[in-house]
Amino acid sequence: MSVKIKLHRSLAKLADGQAVVEVNGNTVGRCLEQMSARFPKLKKRLFEKDGALSRILEIYVNGESIYPDELATVVKDGDELDTVVRISGG
Amino acid sequence: MLSKEQLERYSRQILINGFGEEGQAKLKRAKVFIAGVGGLGSVTATYLAAAGVGVIRIVDHDKVELSNLNRQILHCDEDIGKKKVDSAAKRLKSINPEVKIEAVAEKMTEANISELVTGFDLIVDAMDNLPTRYLLNKIAIDKEIPFFHGAVNGFEGRAMTIIPGQTACLRCVYRGAVVEGSFPVVGVTPGVIGCIQATEVIKYLLGAGQLLGNRLLVYDGLNMKFTQFKVKRDPNCQHCGALKDKN
Repeated sequence: MSVKIKLHRSLAKLADGQAVVEVNGNTVGRCLEQMSARFPKLKKRLFEKDGALSRILEIYVNGESIYPDELATVVKDGDELDTVVRISGG
Repeated sequence: MLSKEQLERYSRQILINGFGEEGQAKLKRAKVFIAGVGGLGSVTATYLAAAGVGVIRIVDHDKVELSNLNRQILHCDEDIGKKKVDSAAKRLKSINPEVKIEAVAEKMTEANISELVTGFDLIVDAMDNLPTRYLLNKIAIDKEIPFFHGAVNGFEGRAMTIIPGQTACLRCVYRGAVVEGSFPVVGVTPGVIGCIQATEVIKYLLGAGQLLGNRLLVYDGLNMKFTQFKVKRDPNCQHCGALKDKN
């Protein structure tokens, strides 16, 4: 079981510069928890204080939106997650 | 019917297969609402005016500041302190005197947004904050007006086209707020995203090509990479969930 998480540039900085992290969780939430356990600096950027997904983060699985139930979304071997930081400048 | 001068002004785009004089006439008949004439709005308004859109309403309550000028290409040094819509209207008229520019120096609010967008064929999102984007998204859904989203930060940008009842809206894909305030940006980023928005508008008006509906286009200028993510309508969406599916 291997799931690849592709990190937005601002997140990769907090993961020793790694652009891709491999984890083996069976849900998006478990995958992100595993990654933040490995790179503790990521935790605040991935989750709100109540454990919900960060309000400024978007997660896509194999290029598709999984909003609004991101953390509960089931993933399988070979899946790829994109982490995208929301922006709103004009 | 296009005049001799119009045929010459737009001759290069009329030459495009599928554009023609008929397409040019469609642009001439169009009424476009552009929310904001900052970085994105400067670019979309410039290219839509140059392309010959008939009426462009620009709405922005800000005044030009020195720190705007790295990216807000409708304004220049001598405009500092003036209303953005005034300097933008002046510049747009100089680019194409045939286009009717309606300059509205008002803040868009729940109280006035309905009146402001009434009668317009589409809305361009060139705002710099998420709350106003949601306001525009909601009114676009309520009035079933196509909505052309764009946003930028640093070297990154994104664009998505919303056709009410047919595609995901902003609320279908976004959860809540982002950090507001001064955001970092280099002028070329709204240049890229604003051009994509203007391209989408022209395609929509012509009825040509495939729009960025149900697709979020994310631009990473530092890696010069475009990524598309599939998005879909949320049946429980606060804004468009009640709107009947028109596909």
